[in-house]
Amino acid sequence: MAANFDIEKRLEQIIANIKKADPEVKAFIDVFDVDAKARAKEVKEKIKEGKGGKLAGMLIAIKNNIAIKGKRMTCSSKMLDTYYAPYNATVIEKLEMEDAVIIGTTNLDEFACGSDTTHSAMHWTRNPRDVSRVPGGSSGGSAAAVAADMCDAALGSDTGGSIRCPSAFCGVVGFKPTYGAVSRYGLGDMAMSLDQIGPIAQDVETAERVFDVIKGKDKKDPVTAVYEEKENDVKVVGIPKEFFEGVDPKIAKVTKNVIQKLEKEYEIVEVSLPSLKYAIPTYYLLMFAEFSSAMQKYDGLRYGSVADRTKELYQAFEEVRGHSLGKEVKRRILLGTYITMKEFKESWYTQTLKARKLIQNEFKSVLEQCDILAGPAMPVLPWKFGEKMDPVEMYSADILTVSANLVGLPAGVVPVGDISGLPASVQIHGRHFEDKSVFEIMRKLEE
Amino acid sequence: MVVIGLEIHAQLKTGQKIFCECPTNYREEEANENICPVCTGQPGSKPMALNQKALGSVIKIALALQCELKRDILIQRKHYFYPDLPSGYQRTSKPIGINGKLGNVRIREVHIEEDPGRYELRKGTVDYNRSGIPLIEIVTEPDIKSPEEARQFLEELNAILGYLDVGRDEPGSSRIDANLSIDGGTRVEVKNINSFKGVYTALMYEKVRQQNMLRRGAEVIMETRHFDEVSGTTVGLRKKETEEDYRYFPDPDIPPVLVTKEMIEGVKKEIPELPRQKSDRFVSDYRIKPDDAWILVSEIELANLFESMSKELKGKEQAIASWIRGPLKKQLNYRDLTFKSSGLIKNDSVLLFKEFSSGFITDDGMEKALIEMLDKKIGYSDVRLTLNLGKINDSLELEGIVDEIIAKNPKPVEDYKVGNEKSLNFLVGQVVKETEGRADSKAVKEIIIKKIKAKN
Repeated sequence: MAANFDIEKRLEQIIANIKKADPEVKAFIDVFDVDAKARAKEVKEKIKEGKGGKLAGMLIAIKNNIAIKGKRMTCSSKMLDTYYAPYNATVIEKLEMEDAVIIGTTNLDEFACGSDTTHSAMHWTRNPRDVSRVPGGSSGGSAAAVAADMCDAALGSDTGGSIRCPSAFCGVVGFKPTYGAVSRYGLGDMAMSLDQIGPIAQDVETAERVFDVIKGKDKKDPVTAVYEEKENDVKVVGIPKEFFEGVDPKIAKVTKNVIQKLEKEYEIVEVSLPSLKYAIPTYYLLMFAEFSSAMQKYDGLRYGSVADRTKELYQAFEEVRGHSLGKEVKRRILLGTYITMKEFKESWYTQTLKARKLIQNEFKSVLEQCDILAGPAMPVLPWKFGEKMDPVEMYSADILTVSANLVGLPAGVVPVGDISGLPASVQIHGRHFEDKSVFEIMRKLEE
Repeated sequence: MVVIGLEIHAQLKTGQKIFCECPTNYREEEANENICPVCTGQPGSKPMALNQKALGSVIKIALALQCELKRDILIQRKHYFYPDLPSGYQRTSKPIGINGKLGNVRIREVHIEEDPGRYELRKGTVDYNRSGIPLIEIVTEPDIKSPEEARQFLEELNAILGYLDVGRDEPGSSRIDANLSIDGGTRVEVKNINSFKGVYTALMYEKVRQQNMLRRGAEVIMETRHFDEVSGTTVGLRKKETEEDYRYFPDPDIPPVLVTKEMIEGVKKEIPELPRQKSDRFVSDYRIKPDDAWILVSEIELANLFESMSKELKGKEQAIASWIRGPLKKQLNYRDLTFKSSGLIKNDSVLLFKEFSSGFITDDGMEKALIEMLDKKIGYSDVRLTLNLGKINDSLELEGIVDEIIAKNPKPVEDYKVGNEKSLNFLVGQVVKETEGRADSKAVKEIIIKKIKAKN
């Protein structure tokens, strides 16, 4: 931290930016300006005494599906719009321990179901690069807040690209850690075998600093038990040819050119991932199944509008769920319930697990031929509001991001160019727990 | 022929809940004191790793029931909606042990699961203190042939849980679902029986109900019935239109747990001699009757009492066994106590037994002392201070009392003279009563006979 850095001044500036930009962008759900000012004052003292933590003075926005004690955790759903989390997510504890200051909570697609943040029950968030376009999703609020300089960094969550898609759409850096590298304790469930929390920032260095603080084993999340950071000397960068199929030619061109420049330092090889064509159905079916289970707790008794007690139990459940949940959420619950029913489980859910295994094995063997995979982040540029109303069309935009979740790999996106004023980004995949290698290549691309 | 199968859910004794660190002493706490984001299923909370002590207990039970062990423990989600279920699914493992056996009853499987909260239907409230208490579920094959056999099976199972020191003692710690069918009928399930004793009552009721229906030519329908503890009857629940589909699938939040060989070996070492083995040993080592041995081993503390008393009072093994099985067990059962919960201690039992068996106190005196000790929770020496228990050995004193009783009861005396034996017993009873149990009834009887004959 620079010696002349004044966190209180920076906070004033950020609050001014929010006041100016957010009425249009609408990245935030709640802004904690009073709390942040008090906390900034404390942190300023600590910095002065030389006792500031690793993130002293960093102003961070939090996707509103992450629990902050005493704050609303809406998950952008009517079901939770008055739910105040009674505890802190592990990542929040870690950020506060290192003196980051939480500035507010950001918008998302309801329960993270969507790729453009238009499925929020709160409001739409606009893309700061072009307000007629979507910011991507589901962490659209976090990416937009970073892009509009309404915070220094933000946390998002990524189940099938929910950090990387909006980061690419808004032209900022986004990183999904290896599954198990960051505790999910306190993250609202979407698909539990895929969910990861990760940072969004204006540059790779900031994203990495945040990652370094939030990573690590946590007894409150048993999937972190296997976490073990691995170092690897990156030599070979693989370019899967399927990553460029069906991608907007302009995006393909810009990203390919930038990746090619890595050949000065790395060997570049073309590789193939033929099972990528199964990635979208595999991801969606698996996610529907897990999501339908995760949503069971919203039965209308504990959350949402109060159930009519004079009615029969199941009828009361139905009514509350009926008017407290949005269309996309309901669609996913119904599909997920269907494919896990006894009658259909074998032909759908069990098949899906097999396909996931196939994709995992293929990535594993390709990552034996190279250390890193590089390609474009998104196959399309951010669309305009109202353009993608068909869910299947929206789902297909996730083709390049879902594999990292299915396989559990670390993946980051970094903006590398500009297509008629809209950002184009490269995505880097690494091996399990070689998150640091991904950051290394992202830094190179940033230069 | 009657065919019965049981599913037994028993709470395991652990300090912490199954997937979080909340304490398990929920009965002592106010409602919703022992809770956290995990066991109330707050949005964003995740389960912690499976409680290792609970897992160890299940493995212990599985081994004691001669099950084959599964090495991969997979936690699944069982989905259904109910107010006591905070997440809308219950976490329940796949079988941990399979193909076991207890006596003649095959054990299909045992697994671990979490207890839900407690829903008070009338008040419309839920107490989550119980949510997350670890449970074992033991499923038998339908090998039980009568309600009596079911009762015996459960008594032995209960003894085993006690021997292994894995179950919770409080009432309501076990819940049993029982199914029963009769030749020519259909399988009927009785749910939520809250005690081992209730199982016998429920099954007897169900057996008679089904037999009566079949006798009348009525059809026994396949259904789930609820046991009403107060009336001892079963009541049909509203029939479901479709079979319930729990949509089981592996819980993504909990990686499969691998049970290591070391863990199994460690658990094996903790398994003590079990009731059946102990009973056989008692018969061969102490030469006591098999029936008595079986009663003694029903509670480990009782078995230990027998064994240590027998070591102290060599040669009196059968007398000790008869005493424990007889008067002691009678008084315990009457108060619904186990030896452990009675508060009696070995030394007092030895003292009491010694005085009784050496003839210093009578049968009646011994029972009186036991009652006093159990009801007042006092030791034998205190009983001795307050009650006059010493047997009247002085025959002159006894004869004096007999004379008095004979004089007061001319009619029974006359009746006895003409051959009414009952009258003799009445007279003996009067003497024992007069001496507050200090007279030995056998001796009294002889004196009365002698006196009456002498009068002739």
